[in-house]
Amino acid sequence: MSPHQLSITGIGTVSPFGPLRGLIGQRKTELRTVTAWPTDGVRRAFLVEPFRPADVVPGLKTRRLDRLSGWCLVATALALADARLDLNGENRSRIAVVLGTGFGCIELTEAFLQSAAANGYAQADPILFPETLTNAPAAHVARVFGIRGPNITLSHKGLSGEGAVMQAASLLRGGQADLAIVLAGDTLTRTMYEWFEAAAVLSRAASAPAPVPFSPQRDGFVPGESATAVVMESADRARSRGAPVYATFRTGFMASDPNAGVSVARRALAGSSPPDVRMVIASTNGSAALDDLEGATIREVFGGEAPVIAPKTFLGESDSCGILRLIAALSWADNQARPLAMLLGTSLAGGCAALSFELR
Amino acid sequence: MARSSNLVAITGIGVISPFGRGLNALSSGLLACRSCLKPLTIFDAGWNPPPVVAEIPELPEVGDRSGFRLSRTDHLAVIAALDAAEAARDCSDFLESGAVIATTVAGLTEIAPAIVSNPAQYYRAGGFASATSYQASHPADAVGAWLGLRGPCWGVSVACASGAMAIALAADMVRTGYAPMMLAGGSDALAPFTLSGFNSLRALDPDPCRPFDKSRKGLNLGEGAAVFVLETLEHAKARNAKVLAILRGWAMTNDAFHPTAPDEQGRGLSESMASAMAMAGVAPDAVGYVNSHGTGTPLNDVAEVKAYETAFRGRGSPMPVSSTKSFFGHCLGAAGALEAAVTIVSMRSSTLFPTLQLTDPIESPAIDWLMARPRRQPLPVGMTVSAGFGGSNTSLIFELEGNLDRV
Repeated sequence: MSPHQLSITGIGTVSPFGPLRGLIGQRKTELRTVTAWPTDGVRRAFLVEPFRPADVVPGLKTRRLDRLSGWCLVATALALADARLDLNGENRSRIAVVLGTGFGCIELTEAFLQSAAANGYAQADPILFPETLTNAPAAHVARVFGIRGPNITLSHKGLSGEGAVMQAASLLRGGQADLAIVLAGDTLTRTMYEWFEAAAVLSRAASAPAPVPFSPQRDGFVPGESATAVVMESADRARSRGAPVYATFRTGFMASDPNAGVSVARRALAGSSPPDVRMVIASTNGSAALDDLEGATIREVFGGEAPVIAPKTFLGESDSCGILRLIAALSWADNQARPLAMLLGTSLAGGCAALSFELR
Repeated sequence: MARSSNLVAITGIGVISPFGRGLNALSSGLLACRSCLKPLTIFDAGWNPPPVVAEIPELPEVGDRSGFRLSRTDHLAVIAALDAAEAARDCSDFLESGAVIATTVAGLTEIAPAIVSNPAQYYRAGGFASATSYQASHPADAVGAWLGLRGPCWGVSVACASGAMAIALAADMVRTGYAPMMLAGGSDALAPFTLSGFNSLRALDPDPCRPFDKSRKGLNLGEGAAVFVLETLEHAKARNAKVLAILRGWAMTNDAFHPTAPDEQGRGLSESMASAMAMAGVAPDAVGYVNSHGTGTPLNDVAEVKAYETAFRGRGSPMPVSSTKSFFGHCLGAAGALEAAVTIVSMRSSTLFPTLQLTDPIESPAIDWLMARPRRQPLPVGMTVSAGFGGSNTSLIFELEGNLDRV
C-alpha cells in the first residue's frame, strides 16, 4: 500500500444521534422541534439533543465555550479513544488539528453582538470575544489534548468537511505532520435559521413531514448540526500500531464551479470504475437545484452501476457535514466485494468535491 | 541544492495597505518611515476619543460580479488578488489555480448588532444580502469569482497567524502537485466588532503602538490585504515567469497553552522557527532578518523575545528584528501576508525597516533591534513570523533566487 494512502483509524461524533464513539450504525433519528429561540409556529431541524460534555468526557470544562468548541472537544476525545491512541506515546508536535466549519462559533458571536447591542461596542463583554474566533474550537482541542502541531481552521461553505480532509491529507503527504485529527462541525442558531427562511431554501418539512432527496416532492432542505472528529494517519503507520481502519483515503478533487462535478468525480475514481464503487455518498439535500445538479453527475459518471445513499435525509444540511455523511454511510454499506466509497459534495455557492476511500 | 520541482516560487504579489495600493506604495511608505496610525474616521462605533488605527480611506473600484455582494474585507482581497495575478493571468493553466485566503473578520464588517434581536426583521429591512458575506470563505470565493479560478477556493481563519498560514498551506498544495498555481494571502478590514473585542480585552494602545518597547501598552488595529501567486520554481521557469522570491521553508505549530495568552517561554513560536529553518536547510546564521509578529502587547512581545533567544541560540551575531505593525497596525488575518510582503520588499531592496516608536527596547543579547530609520543591508534570506489567539504560530523563510546555490 502506498505511503500516500491515509487511513481513518478513529471516529467520534456529536450529531442528532448524540455523542458516539466509532460508527453510527443503522440508527434512526427524527426531526426535533426548535425550542432554543422563539419561533412563529413549529420549526424543526435535525438537532443535537443537549447533553453535558463532562458526562461523556469526565472533567471536561466547557461552560464558557461556544457549543461548537465543546462538541469538538467531545468528538476528539471519542475519536482518540476509538483509535486506541495514547498521546503520551506520541510526538505531539507532529500531530495536526484541522477543522472545517462553515460558520464557526456563531452562537457566541451572536452573544457578543447581543452584548454590543445592549451596552454599546465600547462596553462589550470581554469573556465572549476570544470564544467568537473561528479557530477557537481547534485551539481548545490543541490546549486540552496538548497537541502542538499545525492547527488549522478552514471554511469552504458546503464543502468545509471535505476541505478539512483534503487539507489534512496535504499536511500528511507534505510531511508537515504524522497524524491528523480532522474535525468538521457547525451549530444551528437563530440568525442562520431565519436567514434560510428569508432565502426560501427550507423545506416545508421544517414545519411538516420530512423531505426526500431526489423525490418529486422535494421542496428544500432541513437544517442540521453536528461535529465530527476522525483520526487520520498513514496506512503504514496504522498497520504498524495495529489500529482499526475504517476507510483509507485515496484521493480527492475539488473545483470552485459546482457544475464541474462530472470532471472531479471521474478524477477521483483514479483508474477505478463504477462497478468498484460500493456506495456513492451524495450530498443532495432535498433542494431541487442541488439535487438536479448532483443527480446529473451521478447519472453520467456512475450510471446505474453504483448504489447511492443520501445521508442528509437523516442528518439534515450543514456546511460541514461531509465527514459525518461518510461515517453515517459506512454502516449502510453492503456488497462487500466492492472496494470503494465515493463521497460527493456539491455546494451551489462553494463548488464541488469528490473524495474516494478504500473500505475495509 | 533542492530540486526546482520542490521549491516554491513567488511570482506575483498584490498589496493594498494603509499606505495605498501596490508594493511601491508599501515600499515607499516604509522607506519614508511614515506612520499610518491615526484616529479612526471611516466609521463611528461610539468611542470617545476614537481609537488609533491604520485605515485605508478610499477603496479603488473593482466592478461587479452577478450574485456577489462584496464586504469591505472581500473588496480588499479582490484588489490584492487582481494585482497579484497581473503577471500570471496569461499563463495557460492559471485558471486551474485555487485560492487560500485568510481572514478573521470576513463579512462581520457588514453586520450590525441589531441582527440578533430579531433576525427575520433585520433581513427584511435590508440586511439579508449583506449577511451573505459573513462566512470566512467569502473573501476566497470573491477572489475566485473575480479571477475566474476553477480550482478550490477556501478561507483560512486562525486568528492573527492566518495570513502567513494561508501561504504555507498553499505552498504545500503546489509542492504536492495538487494545483499548478495557487493564490494565497490574507485580508481583513477594520470593523466595530474587532475593535470592540480588543478594546474589551484592554489590548488597544490609545496612542501609536510601540512594539518591543518597555513602555508598550498594546496594539493598534489596521486593515489591508496581501495576496501572492505561488507555483513550483520548475513551473515558473517553464513559463519564464519573473521570480520575486523563493519560499524556502515554512512551519506551523501551536502553543497548546491558553486561549489568548502566548506560551510565556515562546516555545511554540521558537519551534515553528526551528522547523522552518530545518525545512529550508538553513542555519540560524544564514537568516539575515526577522519581520516579527510584534503586536505591542505586554505578553506577546516578551514571549516573542524568548522565542528568538531559543530559536537563534548559537548564532554568531544578534538577529536584526523589527515590527512593521508600528507603521500600519495589526491587520489581523492579513497581517502575516502583509508582513511577508514587507520581508520580500526588504530582500529585494536590501533595506531593513525599523520599528517606529521604539526607543527603549526589551533587553536581549540575541536581538539587534532595528530602530528609528531604515538600514541598508543585503538580505538574501529573510524570515517572517506570526502568532495568534488560540496559540497558532507560523514561520515563513524567503530567499532571493540568485542565492539558491549559496545557502
